[in-house]
Amino acid sequence: MKQYSKNILVALVCFLIVIVLNFLLPRLLPGNPIAYLTGFSEEDMTVAQQEFYENALHLKESGFVQFGFYLRSLLDGTLGYSYKKNAVVSALILERLGITLQITLPSVLLSTVLGLVWGLHNGYQKDSLSDRLSTSAMIVVNTIPTFLIGLVLIILFCFRVRWLPYTGLSSSHPGTGPAWLLDRLKHLFLPVLTLTIATTPSRYLLMRNTASRVADEKYILYAKERGLSDHTIKYHYLLKNIAQPFITMVGMSVSTCVGGSLIIENIFSINGMGKLLTDAVYTLDYPLMQGILFVTTLIMVISIVVTDFICIAIDPKVRLRHEK
Amino acid sequence: MRNRRLLPLILGCLLLSLFLLMALFPQLFTPYGVKQMFAPWQTCTGEHLLGTNALGYDIFTELVYGTRETLFIGLMSSLLTMLLGTAIGTAAACRGFVGHFFNGLINIFVLLPRLITLIVLASFVGSSQWNLIWLICAFSWVGIARNVRSKVMHLNEQTFIENCIIQGYDRVHIAVHHILPNLYDVLISRFLLGVNSCIMMESTLSFLGFGDLYHPTWGTMINFAYKRGAFIRQAYSYLLTPGICIMLLSLSFFFLSLYFEGRRDTISEG
Repeated sequence: MKQYSKNILVALVCFLIVIVLNFLLPRLLPGNPIAYLTGFSEEDMTVAQQEFYENALHLKESGFVQFGFYLRSLLDGTLGYSYKKNAVVSALILERLGITLQITLPSVLLSTVLGLVWGLHNGYQKDSLSDRLSTSAMIVVNTIPTFLIGLVLIILFCFRVRWLPYTGLSSSHPGTGPAWLLDRLKHLFLPVLTLTIATTPSRYLLMRNTASRVADEKYILYAKERGLSDHTIKYHYLLKNIAQPFITMVGMSVSTCVGGSLIIENIFSINGMGKLLTDAVYTLDYPLMQGILFVTTLIMVISIVVTDFICIAIDPKVRLRHEK
Repeated sequence: MRNRRLLPLILGCLLLSLFLLMALFPQLFTPYGVKQMFAPWQTCTGEHLLGTNALGYDIFTELVYGTRETLFIGLMSSLLTMLLGTAIGTAAACRGFVGHFFNGLINIFVLLPRLITLIVLASFVGSSQWNLIWLICAFSWVGIARNVRSKVMHLNEQTFIENCIIQGYDRVHIAVHHILPNLYDVLISRFLLGVNSCIMMESTLSFLGFGDLYHPTWGTMINFAYKRGAFIRQAYSYLLTPGICIMLLSLSFFFLSLYFEGRRDTISEG
């Protein structure tokens, strides 16, 4: 229990640090903070505009008051104002977050299940032919950059055989009802597949290595002697003992998946949060970038807290102590 | 059995020496200069192994010259990462406040969303080659630091360290002369794997358009290929070969680390 609450505490501290970093970066870097906070270059602004922004951003106040204003913008959920896009940052992000999650969540689930089942299977029967083949294949796949996977898939499925569309999330006339759903699934297939291929190897390798280490233990041997089926041994004996590091790893890798979704949205021209971030970077829209960094950190903290709660829920040592 | 141990070493060395040769003497591999212009969008022929790109540069030449930049960023940032990771990892194994502080630091950096933080920071400080190296280094030392920390804590329990303490050596002396030399096996395999992750990080950043345009790496090449419409021109070699090179380079480092890990296992078993 103590370990889990410590994890949650660390996640919160990490969150605080990102907030402070977000606040300090534009103010400490060489150059005019107005330029960083609005994204307009200094030379293009008139004196009146400078005055306006200086007042709007509270830059004349002391540092603490400024930090207070920044915290307030985080707490009331606006996350600041993007002067480039003339919109509230959180509204911009919320609009796109759903799209990113449509790619991220299915692939997190798929790669977790794949890595778990396949890794457990091969770790249990280590040094078998299937273990050797798939482990070396996974090692090779692990070294392929995500964008290469995406590009190869596009070339194969969209240009060679023309089965699937390669841009966006829906056609120009997606239709309604089941037709719309089919259209969306068709568009989602390749991005999700890419992210799944990119994230499965690390999970598989972790699962396979821990499983193969535990497979030598005496209690597994005893279970085999008792004539239990492989399935029972794998899921009722092995998995229970190695689930915890795997779950923690999946929770931590959610933020990696959001990062991976950034690459994929760029390749497949999907208007998700990653595209928003690259747009923000190209147009030097600093408030928007900071908002996105804030939201990703939030997602990460949430996923870590959730995985820790799952670990507490399934850990009999913790659970039983509470029932006593 | 002995030969099978050596296989990854031989494969890794072969691949790596090929890339090193490309990095050091690019003139050996290609007769053209980087900025030599031909007709744009030629297909693969004997004269232009991979064809030419939108501006008429020979793609194979670009690839060969990109090796140096890619390797430089990868090796340099991995080296710095290793130094930083070792320092912080050793400090985190200390007892008392210092240890707690650095341990907390490690735990926090494990959690940061790396790619997005890197992108935001790169756009704030600008993405020159050295900035990229520092940024990548600043966000990838965590893995090494954790390994070093656990290894140092393991070493601290050993009798020879106890002996040193009894002999009355001060802590810095013990750390530098007795603990650091024992870390080399962790450091070698982590360094080799670190080169991989640094190259991967750099190429991802470059692919997204945050690379240093004055020192084009393979990631930058793919970014250009993608932006200049290599898809529509069906110039697949332009899109894919840099990625395949990144993959081969990563594999070569991975093979080497595999060899060192195998050797470590033999030593600890024997």
